[in-house]
Amino acid sequence: MTTLLVGPFNRVEGDLEIRLEVEDGQVAAAYANSPLFRGFERMMVGKGPLDALTITPRICGICSISQSMAAAAALADLAGVQPAPEGAKVAALLHMIENVSDHMAHFNLFFMPDYARAGYASADWHGQVLDRFTAGQGSALRRAIEARADLLHVVGMLGGKWPHTLAIQPGGVTRTPTARDLIRIGATLQAFRRYLEAETFGGKLEDFAALDSIESLEAWSGGDAALFLRVAVATGTGAMGKGSGRYMSFGAYPLPDGRVFDAGTWDNGTETSVDFEAIQEDISHAWLLGDAAHPTRGETIPDEMMREEAYSWCKAPRLAGRTFETGALARQIIVGHPLARALAAEGGVRARVVGRLLELALTQIEMERLLRSIRPEERFMDQVPLPSDGTGVGVVEAARGALGHWISVEDGAINNYQIIAPTTWNFSPRDTAGTAGPVEAALVGAPVSEGEDTPLSVQHIVRSFDPCMVCTVH
Amino acid sequence: MSQIETFYDVMRRQGITRRSFMKYCSLTAAALGLSPSFVPKIAHAMETKPRTPVIWVHGLECTCCSESFIRAAHPLAKDVVLSMISLDYDDTLMAAAGHAAEAALEETIEKYKGNYILAVEGNPPLNEDGMFCITGGKPFVEKLRHAAKDAKAIISWGACASYGCVQAAKPNPTQATPVHKVITDKPIIKVPGCPPIAEVMTGVITYMLTFDRLPELDRQGRPAMFYSQRIHDKCYRRPHFDAGQFVETWDDEHARKGYCLYKMGCKGPTTYNACSTIRWNEGVSFPIQSGHGCIGCSEDGFWDQGSFYDRVTDLTQFGIEANADKVGLTAAGVVGAGVAAHAAISALKAAQKKTQDKEEA
Repeated sequence: MTTLLVGPFNRVEGDLEIRLEVEDGQVAAAYANSPLFRGFERMMVGKGPLDALTITPRICGICSISQSMAAAAALADLAGVQPAPEGAKVAALLHMIENVSDHMAHFNLFFMPDYARAGYASADWHGQVLDRFTAGQGSALRRAIEARADLLHVVGMLGGKWPHTLAIQPGGVTRTPTARDLIRIGATLQAFRRYLEAETFGGKLEDFAALDSIESLEAWSGGDAALFLRVAVATGTGAMGKGSGRYMSFGAYPLPDGRVFDAGTWDNGTETSVDFEAIQEDISHAWLLGDAAHPTRGETIPDEMMREEAYSWCKAPRLAGRTFETGALARQIIVGHPLARALAAEGGVRARVVGRLLELALTQIEMERLLRSIRPEERFMDQVPLPSDGTGVGVVEAARGALGHWISVEDGAINNYQIIAPTTWNFSPRDTAGTAGPVEAALVGAPVSEGEDTPLSVQHIVRSFDPCMVCTVH
Repeated sequence: MSQIETFYDVMRRQGITRRSFMKYCSLTAAALGLSPSFVPKIAHAMETKPRTPVIWVHGLECTCCSESFIRAAHPLAKDVVLSMISLDYDDTLMAAAGHAAEAALEETIEKYKGNYILAVEGNPPLNEDGMFCITGGKPFVEKLRHAAKDAKAIISWGACASYGCVQAAKPNPTQATPVHKVITDKPIIKVPGCPPIAEVMTGVITYMLTFDRLPELDRQGRPAMFYSQRIHDKCYRRPHFDAGQFVETWDDEHARKGYCLYKMGCKGPTTYNACSTIRWNEGVSFPIQSGHGCIGCSEDGFWDQGSFYDRVTDLTQFGIEANADKVGLTAAGVVGAGVAAHAAISALKAAQKKTQDKEEA
């Protein structure tokens, strides 16, 4: 048995290091280390509750709206109110745009460039991938950066700036869009649709969204999506990194008539609702002090001795004692999308990437619908007086999956603030029972060729989760 | 140090036309506040000078600076600058992985010794020997010191590298420390903001690459061309401030009319940045235009100044204005030479005090 240390990982958000135990040409065990700790939960204590709206989004520069949405939802829950309905729509639109931006950045900038590596030089598809996806140079990358910047104009317009938008509040949003804004946003969304249909899908979004089986997926012939599907099968990487078959979503985009994508869990064919009370964060293998606890009672006290048996700053969240994978694939399985359900059992690299592609198409369609329903003459923000004592929970779906903020306020100041980010779930270390976190488990069995010190299979599997390491530990 | 290609070579290789190149030069001149006569100078420099290599490293941060950077308004700016950077070393966007990436860093340092610009995003946590941010098995602070040793100059991107930002908020659990407190023997240019505006970032880096020197800095070490005026000075809602027309509550009639956000806690009157002129996301808007006050994210200590929704006090409505340099001087004078190193921290308060004093005088 040999031990390999893989990292630091480039082209992931933040820092990540993975220790692999390799036996007989494959990974026998994996240990995910999140080496970056900033202590956001600790600095929230003693601050005014509204500070959460400004400080928590700064956990992350690529999913700051998700953090902002969760903080605003937690404060609204603390006050026992719902945001103004039109405000909720604008907030949801802002959030959709960020999630779509993250999905397309992942596919084009982070994930696909791995197939441009020299290790694949002899493959007949390699030239095409080189042309499209060479890191920093490929034609797809450049188009993606441009299209993404254009799409984010909408956030600029409605939110003032991105990253770190300030507009989302517990009572709604600060910006009332005018009829003129709505037309301009509509034009931006149409331009984005054209980009997706020309480059990513090479076909109508509705047609991709209507795929309902693995056979129909494999027959898809347009755009970079088809290139990926071909490469995933040709290299065998699509089937790698199979998960546990357990998926969880907190439900995305709360609107006055319910969430656009429902909350729930899926356990190898069995659907249930999320029992939020059954969440516990285990810290047996994290450099943190204290006991496993529900986030309402959780603490974040760094273990300055960095004890031997621990290996990460990341806590290990568990739902009823078990690991759950979260992200676009999980969301669409729980919503009941036929293609996502068909991929649930496969559950590897291809399934996760297709989950995101599917959401790119579905979310674009939802954004167009949502925009048409916004009424500029209505209220976009209600006044929300906060109680000086109480608790609140805000749960949302970031691009990478389930995100929750738990706030507790005493005498007008925060006395506890706990955050569980999607990558905290997916990249959690082992728990007290020794159960590996989702990515650690998914890496077991990954092939490692003789002499490979940065195994390609590991790169593909890790990136298929689209880790956001700065959110993970915060 | 054999032959490094010129900027123009890099652009040509990317298939950029002459016409587009000249447009880029004039836009850059405009963004930097230079007269049109500088356009041929910029063009000449870019055609003849070897490009300056850039190494971009990340410490405790959230990558918002990189995110801002890759959305600069003129596609050429980010293409060119980004391609130059990715030719060298950037751990978020580069192609190499793991040890190969670390080797690429060493190679770049070696190859361009004494001649590269080190761009730092985020900052080092110093607590517990830097264990809160470990990259490549070593504390980030070591990587920073190592990369800084042979750098020609350092750019501190954003509030993190410049001042500490939110991760340095009380009680600053990791002792997150701005770059200039760790590296003391190199010229450092601070480009604060959370994140900084994309065009400010490309403007600063293009200036340095083109003219091979630092732009003029104010006393806090910020490029004067972007940080010499307050948000308030050029705010499109300023007439409402002067007329005493304020938003009183969220989404009230005044909010819809675009009145001043001062009473909603806007920090525009004490914040030096270019948001109200250059604006955000390719110039479409900025926080005040979206109905939310400025939080002062380009000022030192903005994260620990009480609520973001408390109004700025001690502000005189028709006071005599001071520029950033005068404010810096005042700060040093007020707090005394003994703590001159910390002058920056007091600048904001001193600015308020100064205008008040003048009013009383």
